[in-house]
Amino acid sequence: MAGELLQQGLNWLTLGATYALIALGFSLLFGVLKVIHFSHGDVSLVAPFIALATIQGVIGATSAELGAGSLLLGCAVAIIMTGFIGVLLDVLVIQRFRTAPAMMALVATVALGIVLRELIRHLFPNGSNPHAFPQLVQSQVTLGDGIQVPAFSLLAIAISVAAVAILFFVLHRTRLGMRIRAVSQDRDAARLMAIDPRRIFFATFFIASAVGGIGGLFFASYAGVVRFDFGIQAGLIGFSAAVVGGLGSMSGAIVGSLLIAGLDTVIQATIPNGAAYRLVFAFVLVIMVLVFRPAGLFGRTVVEKV
Amino acid sequence: MAPLFIVIAVEFIAAAALRQFLLAEDWRVVVGILVLFGALFGLMQLRPAIEQKIADAFREHRRLAVIIGVVLAIGFPAALGGNSYAIHLLILALIYSVLALALNFQLGSANIPNFATGASYGIGAYASALLAINYGVSFWVALPFSALVATLFGFALGLPSMRTRESYLALVTIAFGVVVHQLLNNFEWTGGPNGVVGIPAPSLFGHSFSSPIKLFGLSLPSQANFYFLSALLLVIAIVTANRLHSSRIGLAWNALRADELAARCQGINVVWYKVLAFAVDAFLAGFAGTIYAFYVSFISPDNFTFLVSVTIMTMVIVGGMDNILGVIVGAFLLTLLPEKLRAFSDYRILFFGVVVILFLIIRPQGLFPQRLRRYGGDS
Repeated sequence: MAGELLQQGLNWLTLGATYALIALGFSLLFGVLKVIHFSHGDVSLVAPFIALATIQGVIGATSAELGAGSLLLGCAVAIIMTGFIGVLLDVLVIQRFRTAPAMMALVATVALGIVLRELIRHLFPNGSNPHAFPQLVQSQVTLGDGIQVPAFSLLAIAISVAAVAILFFVLHRTRLGMRIRAVSQDRDAARLMAIDPRRIFFATFFIASAVGGIGGLFFASYAGVVRFDFGIQAGLIGFSAAVVGGLGSMSGAIVGSLLIAGLDTVIQATIPNGAAYRLVFAFVLVIMVLVFRPAGLFGRTVVEKV
Repeated sequence: MAPLFIVIAVEFIAAAALRQFLLAEDWRVVVGILVLFGALFGLMQLRPAIEQKIADAFREHRRLAVIIGVVLAIGFPAALGGNSYAIHLLILALIYSVLALALNFQLGSANIPNFATGASYGIGAYASALLAINYGVSFWVALPFSALVATLFGFALGLPSMRTRESYLALVTIAFGVVVHQLLNNFEWTGGPNGVVGIPAPSLFGHSFSSPIKLFGLSLPSQANFYFLSALLLVIAIVTANRLHSSRIGLAWNALRADELAARCQGINVVWYKVLAFAVDAFLAGFAGTIYAFYVSFISPDNFTFLVSVTIMTMVIVGGMDNILGVIVGAFLLTLLPEKLRAFSDYRILFFGVVVILFLIIRPQGLFPQRLRRYGGDS
């Protein structure tokens, strides 16, 4: 009993950590750009495909077995490339909507997500089919009194905590972080202080997309497979988590992710065939939160100035 | 040129071009017609006087234009020479025109991004199909009933809009669409992923819609029944849209689009008009869903995905927000084009995505922008 509870608890934290890595990107980008980057989930889920391609490339070139080395290399390449893809999307599309009504940027990024998904489908060999994604670590770890837990969960939680800690450190203790926060506060005032908002936007896109990429890798590794259209699900869950917590609030995104992951775990454990309804319950939670606290649990209500 | 002549020429040329487009087998012909359309459009861009002249001509001979349009629409299936595939494409284009007009009330008039039109369409289709299969209800009873059901859901979807705006509201609509799709896919009484099969064809005065129309020795394929039905629906949708656009409701929606806060200060009940936009959208989409279900006689959750909603949104954006003619042109273009360019059909969804982005960047007002409201004068 205690073992199963621990198992479910770890499950919950693993899912929560994965969602949080993606949700943080939504919140960070919204905080700085005041624009919803709806294709962020799809950007995050490009990472596993880049990792797969890199690993296959390495194995093809050295004819070695799938080892920790190639896996690590694949993930590292994927995370960095995903960061650059985020910047690329901003340069190509999103920056053109800086001054446009929010709705246009929203529709454009939804379309951008579709384009990304379709590009994966057409460019990746056999892109329409699901691809097996290797578990990052496969062993089981024995805790205290003989309870076995998958090492992957522990690794995912540890890396997520580390990533979030680094993100908070960068945002609050470095010059770059100060500039990001300055631009997020007031774009024009920041410019008066000799901060170039364009460069800050690029940096934000890189950070958010790279962190999302880590989340995408966990997402694929947790499921064991990855498919071109997983991005929409990851994006909806990540965005919902960010909204539940309050868009723009970093800690809100984490709390929101843990809430949605918790709901997810409970439903899968208690309702037969519950997995089929996971998005339904997640969205019911989102709608409830929005109806009773429109700015999210940790969000500040924006007072309109006339 | 005499205005009368302009009206007749424009309508006949448009009908002939559509006929050629539908019957074209070779993709080069399709591309040729498209280039012609693009060139005409470019010409009107360069010489706004031409566009103005056509618009004035239509305003002057409004009644005649409508009569010619109706006659052309009635005669059109005969002109296609019994090509049932062409009629099938026309029906799809008509149904999507209605859906695009439905979304236009929100996206175009009131600037509410609703990503759930596909779901309302599905609710209408499922409500009528299940009624017909389980209770033997006839099409003519199921039609208004399913529209009512869809409207109720539309109200429910509109309720959170009291508290949420813009991106948050968009999330609610996306969530609604995904939830509806997942429920349809998982419930047993909706047939699950297999959908509903064997929806009986409607009949009118003893004439079954699954049999060909025979009139004065002329025989039309059975699809023509549904062509006339969906054309009638589109006419109803156009009249509704026209009426609403020129009523206080249309004005209130436009005020909402311009500035919600200012609209509220003017005493406009913002919440009510938002919820109303959702309800009208759902009502028309429910209608369209019913006709679709009875036409294809088989529906499954995959007909009503998030992508369907995005497709409808693309039609509104490409055609022109809050411009009835523009929205219909957008719907026709985006329904027929992927079907006619079969060779590239695998890239259809990619094409939609790229087109939306390009239009939002280059021409956010669409092919046919909203014309200024005219008050007084002869209109």
